[in-house]
Amino acid sequence: MNAPSASSSTKPVTLIGGYLGAGKTTLINRLLNQPELPSGTAVLVNDFGDVNVDESLIRSESDNGNIIGLSNGCICCSISDDLSQALDQLNTLPIAQVILETSGVAEPARVWQHCHYPGFSPKATVVVVDAVNFHQRSQDKYVGPLVSAQAAQADLLVVSKTELNPRFQFHSLTPQLSGQDANLIDAIVGWQRDFDSSAVTTHTGLSPEFSAHTWYQHDVVSWLDLEANLQTLDSSVQRVKGWIETDEGFMQVDKVGERLSVKRLGPGDKPKLRGLVFIFHVIQNDGARRNPVAAWLAARTA
Amino acid sequence: MLTLFKARSVITMNPSMPRATAVLVRDGMILEVGEPEHMQAWLEGQEYTVDEQFADNIICPGFIDPHLHPSMAAVLLPMEFITAMRWKLPWGDIEPVTTAEAFDQRMQSLNQTKEPDAPLFIWGYHQLWHGNMSKARIHQVSEQRPIIVWHRSFHELYMNDAAMSMAGIDPAQIRPGMQIDIEQGHFFEVGLGFAINRLNPWILAPEKYAQGLQRLKEVVHHGGHTSIGDLATGLFNFDTEAQALAEQLEGDDVPFRTRLVVHGTRLTQGGRKPEEGPAMAEALRSHNSHRLSFARHIKLFSDGAFFSQLAQMQEPGYIDGHHGEWLAAPEELERHIRAYWQAGYQIHVHVTGDLGLELTLDILQKMQDEKPRFNHGFTFEHFGFSTPEQIRRIKALGAQVSANVYYLHELSDSYAKTGIGYERASQMARLRSCFDAGINTTIHSDFTMAPAEPLNSMWVAVTRQNHAGDVMGSEERLTQQQALEAITINAAHTIGLADITGSLRAGKRADFTVLNQDPLACEPSGLRDIEIAATVFEGKVFPIE
Repeated sequence: MNAPSASSSTKPVTLIGGYLGAGKTTLINRLLNQPELPSGTAVLVNDFGDVNVDESLIRSESDNGNIIGLSNGCICCSISDDLSQALDQLNTLPIAQVILETSGVAEPARVWQHCHYPGFSPKATVVVVDAVNFHQRSQDKYVGPLVSAQAAQADLLVVSKTELNPRFQFHSLTPQLSGQDANLIDAIVGWQRDFDSSAVTTHTGLSPEFSAHTWYQHDVVSWLDLEANLQTLDSSVQRVKGWIETDEGFMQVDKVGERLSVKRLGPGDKPKLRGLVFIFHVIQNDGARRNPVAAWLAARTA
Repeated sequence: MLTLFKARSVITMNPSMPRATAVLVRDGMILEVGEPEHMQAWLEGQEYTVDEQFADNIICPGFIDPHLHPSMAAVLLPMEFITAMRWKLPWGDIEPVTTAEAFDQRMQSLNQTKEPDAPLFIWGYHQLWHGNMSKARIHQVSEQRPIIVWHRSFHELYMNDAAMSMAGIDPAQIRPGMQIDIEQGHFFEVGLGFAINRLNPWILAPEKYAQGLQRLKEVVHHGGHTSIGDLATGLFNFDTEAQALAEQLEGDDVPFRTRLVVHGTRLTQGGRKPEEGPAMAEALRSHNSHRLSFARHIKLFSDGAFFSQLAQMQEPGYIDGHHGEWLAAPEELERHIRAYWQAGYQIHVHVTGDLGLELTLDILQKMQDEKPRFNHGFTFEHFGFSTPEQIRRIKALGAQVSANVYYLHELSDSYAKTGIGYERASQMARLRSCFDAGINTTIHSDFTMAPAEPLNSMWVAVTRQNHAGDVMGSEERLTQQQALEAITINAAHTIGLADITGSLRAGKRADFTVLNQDPLACEPSGLRDIEIAATVFEGKVFPIE
């Protein structure tokens, strides 16, 4: 593993912020799949709704990260603080750095304060902004101030879903990166060096190329049918992972490209969720943007 | 065996017969309320006793606090209170301490009376009254005994060196920026989380927690309650809480019942979908016992803590321009509400600011459009800030209100000056408007946010007097009749117990609160000082002192 830099005994924390649905989990999944991601990177993900489904999937997908789920709350209402507990827990592990996914309703600046924790120090705030919904959300009477504050508090903005809205006015966002602000640039450059985010910062600057689709299972399926069907997935689907209840018992499914591996679970081994996560290229070979999984699922569950 | 309880007056809260002088009880159930001469038909040929111990007292329906937190209380109650506001606790009234000198004196006397070496946890410090706290100030009390001074808001604390060494906090680990001022022994926000993780062995130890629940039991009895609502069961950990509650709050010596309303987002956290929640909540009913019961109720959360000025406010917002917080994304809240609305649940939503209320009203409107429901009992909990227009919407959508009226007493003065200005601060807890609109309206303590004393809540609702002695929003004062309805029958409706308690009539449980004075006839200013002689839970008398 990478040793922490000699200049500091604290472990750097990079925040990944952004509103619900902006693409924080997708970005984290991408980072976890970077071979350059140093081992000893711990990931703290927010435990809320669907994100947590992805949590158990990214957990098993990544062998070099420690992933800990968090939930929202106020210390005066629960006498506990998940983040402090998680950081105390991480302090006992040989980790070099932390990626912290904030809650979708958190202001990164408030979480930033939390990263000044014994043994840790905040390093940079990355905020994922959704090109399709950002402008509408920033005017929303309930979340407008929050969504605007999230963007304004970023060191690095990652704009997602730009292919759906190519005319997105990036420059209307604050902050404008300033060449004069050496500390800010250092923070970002440091972040890029650690995580080699070249795949994240594509030609548009900042658009993740991959998307994830989560499907929840309701009824028991035939294993033979499922196995055959998985072979018909579009080639743009890079990865399929999850647990399925079939007529032959619970199966753990893991498909990377064309290669399908299957593990039959023992009778006592009941997964805590049933479903599959599909990770696919958002831009198809013909240049169009489609969700190949939705069509595939629709054809099979009709 | 029949018992005929006689009283100076019985306040029934049954509008068809508001007053009586006797209640006839068999096996914990009321057979008849009225005048003894009308009850002969029940008594003929039966063995019965006439109980005249309350002949000089007023019998009211047993008081109900529809929203408090036994688990939070269990953590706080083992601590010593030094507070700027009065708290009546079973082991002694906590008189207001409103100066720095008095705070130090009280710390001194606690230090002298407490057994040597035991850590001293103090709760209730507030700089507004008690001056700046510091480690040096605590050291003047003791350098040997670990002393922890907790802020009234719970969001910060101070410790002396002995406490830090007890908790294993090494000052050398602490760096600038950590929200820990090690010189002053001050831990706040993040620093507080760090401190709490190290103090947990003392504050969450099982025997402490059990002791805390025992104290809660006394507090609830002392306040005159015969029913309470635990409005977020599962706050810490569902299994631990369920077991502790079953051990401490069930049994013949427990003079009240508890309606358990599960914390909805905790229920399904860890990867369960909100849509699975109703079935999971349904399964909890297998835990039900005589006094502890879940029903088809769920607790959800909209905006942030009132005491921390994190309530979400509509324009013009806070004077200093800061914004409140959402406790869940609006889409998430809507998804949870939909799951339980569709399943026919009564939904209780924590709302503090008028924007939090507006959002929740919008969601409720959407639910009514999708699947109209009557008599759904959707309840706005806390109800700090609201507008007159929102009162109409609450009525039109068939919802109800459970308000923490104590906010007005403790915070309206400071919120007028440093929060949101006088107009809106004086109109927090807009309760008279709710009554006038015909909305079922109750008041609660959210204990430990406010004292678990229904008569104190009633006093605030009737006088609207803040701690500085000013009347805030006099148009919103309740009558004594309305305020008593709020802590009895209306509260029973809110937590789904109106079929068995909340008023005195044939067929309901014999739950009484016995007072020395008539709360409908006394001076409003005297309401909070009315002495409670006893409570009666299901026919059994539990004297107070």
